[in-house]
Amino acid sequence: MGLALSVRELVVEGDRGRRLLRIGALDIPAGGRVGVRGPSGAGKSTFLYAIAGLVAMKAGTVTWDDETISAMNASQRARFRRERVGMIFQDFLLFEELPALGNAALAAGYAGRAERGRIADGAAAMLAHLGLGDHADRAVDTFSGGERQRVAVARALAADPPIILADEPTASLDRAAADRLIGDLADLAETRGKTLIAVSHDATLHERMDRVIDIVDGCWTGEG
Amino acid sequence: MFAPVTDAWNSLPATAQDVLWFVILLLPPLIIGLIVTRGYRPFGLVRAMMWRYHWTNALFVTLIAISVGIGVGLIAQERGLRKGTARAAEKFDLIVAAPGSEVQMLMAAVYLQPVDVPLIDGQTYDRIATHENVSLAAPIAYGDSYLASPVIGTTPQFVTHLAGDLVEGRMFASMGEAVAGARVPLKVGDRFVPAHGVGDAAEHDAHEGHDIVVVGKMRLTGSPWDKAILVPVEGVWAVHGLASGHAPDDAGRIGPPFDPEYFPGTPAVLVRADQLWANYALRSEFTTDKTMAFFPGAVLAGLHSMLGDVRQVMSVMAVLTQVLVTAGVLAGLVVLTRLYARRLALLRALGAPDRFVFSVVWSYAAVLIGAGAILGVAVGFAAVGAISRVVTARTDILVTATLGWPEFHLVAGFVSLTVILALTPAFMALSRNIVTDLRA
Ligand SMILES: Nc1ncnc2c1ncn2[C@@H]1O[C@H](COP(=O)(O)OP(=O)(O)OP(=O)(O)O)[C@@H](O)[C@H]1O
Ligand SMILES: [Mg+2]
Repeated sequence: MGLALSVRELVVEGDRGRRLLRIGALDIPAGGRVGVRGPSGAGKSTFLYAIAGLVAMKAGTVTWDDETISAMNASQRARFRRERVGMIFQDFLLFEELPALGNAALAAGYAGRAERGRIADGAAAMLAHLGLGDHADRAVDTFSGGERQRVAVARALAADPPIILADEPTASLDRAAADRLIGDLADLAETRGKTLIAVSHDATLHERMDRVIDIVDGCWTGEG
Repeated sequence: MFAPVTDAWNSLPATAQDVLWFVILLLPPLIIGLIVTRGYRPFGLVRAMMWRYHWTNALFVTLIAISVGIGVGLIAQERGLRKGTARAAEKFDLIVAAPGSEVQMLMAAVYLQPVDVPLIDGQTYDRIATHENVSLAAPIAYGDSYLASPVIGTTPQFVTHLAGDLVEGRMFASMGEAVAGARVPLKVGDRFVPAHGVGDAAEHDAHEGHDIVVVGKMRLTGSPWDKAILVPVEGVWAVHGLASGHAPDDAGRIGPPFDPEYFPGTPAVLVRADQLWANYALRSEFTTDKTMAFFPGAVLAGLHSMLGDVRQVMSVMAVLTQVLVTAGVLAGLVVLTRLYARRLALLRALGAPDRFVFSVVWSYAAVLIGAGAILGVAVGFAAVGAISRVVTARTDILVTATLGWPEFHLVAGFVSLTVILALTPAFMALSRNIVTDLRA
């Protein structure tokens, strides 16, 4: 089951006090599917980092269900991400020397003993589902851009997290592969009630979302 | 309070102490490793990191290995040299010579680096040789040479004392015969004419007509005597136109007893007592205004302890080099860790616990250091072997240096210290900003 997001008066500042993001009030219900769009440099990635608890917040609150991550310390937020969040980064960020499965099951390295098997199985199943089942043992430095993207998706979903945060997940895929991935993500969110927040310029993706919000110049002002 | 521990420790055999010490030195990194990695499996990632910049990592390991190797090599070499010089002096219980420098006489009589000294006369020699506690008294008459080999006049008894049974041929039995050391380039049956003096100052035609035939070969002793040619002392006297050491009615005799009236003199006498304790009595007895008596082993030990300061300087330098290397290793690790900053940031962004990220960085560092140290021991073995061969060839003193416990302790200490200090780059990796590194 997904978690509900509630953001209030969130302000994120960059170096030298430059304001990168300001969100007045944003509520996303558990199991909601939200597309985020906006011009380059608008602050979309910053928004995802903020609700994942990766950037220090200048002001405001970010709450997932009853867990207020804006009030947590770094290791509590790490634990929150570990247990609740599957993240797909804008540029994949893979360990090039590890095989696809090693990347997808990365979390097994630090998960508790009981979790390891589940994560490894989930990673293998996800790779197979994304059409990489035959390449699970190949080092990803031989993979194409689209294949890498799919390994990154498998890594995000391996532990079956209730929250999926995706940053341009279809950017390196051809139309057909992009459509398939969008379908997969949306289906997963739908059938398992996961909360999905996806930054994308892809209209096909927006169609499968409940809602699309626009971030412009670091601001999203009010419910649309 | 520590007395029982100290007692228990002292009651252990030396090897057990060495092994224990080694283990104790290695305990800190082992314990840290267990704590840091407990419950995690960082090694797949460590392997990936190794592979990622494998040339850089290999270079790093090589540098550690070379410096560790040179450090332990030097220390082992110094010990080997001490043992080698002591072994070369083993057969020389007590030397009696004319009063002068003990060190010079040690160099001359034991290591065959000749010096000019006054001779001991026949009466004095006779007193030594006929002393009731003396089981062997042999003149060591040096001064002549053949090519690079000193020619030493002495007695058959001394040859046997020095090298045991001959490996080839027989003992010299007349003045024109010689027994050659194992490393003398002469075979049984070869003839040569000795030169007066040694080295560049040798007069090559001084002993014209006194050619000598090699009749036997000694076994290898690992001392400068392997390069020496031993002849009857009577022969040495004869080529110098001196008396033969024996009365006319006993002419032609080789070896003791000598007649004091016809004894031309010898620069040194090797003395062996029948009992260990008697050596001390003999030494005081022959320490007179006409003779000095000394134990070469004791003089050597004195030299070694004087050189102890040098040894300490060397150990300090070896340790200092290790410390410098450690500092270099740490600086390198900080740089290397930055190479991996983006991957580490990714781990943290995914929610990996700090201790896991820490364990990845630390294990990576520990593997580099450990591999460098192990390889360094191999380098040390090779270096020690090579240096020993050179020293042996240059000094004729057999040096069989090899790495021993002191070196293993040094390496273990180095690993321990460096691996503990490697916690620093691991902590530094955790203090970095996740998002900044992700965007990098
Ligand atoms: N630490 C920082 N200090 C100052 N400015 C920053 C910092 N980090 C990011 N920025 C700036 O903040 C803005 C928003 O960055 P962000 O990555 O969120 O944009 P984005 O909407 O994801 O863009 P894109 O579509 O190109 O990925 C950019 O102009 C970026 O240069
Ligand atoms: Mg972005």
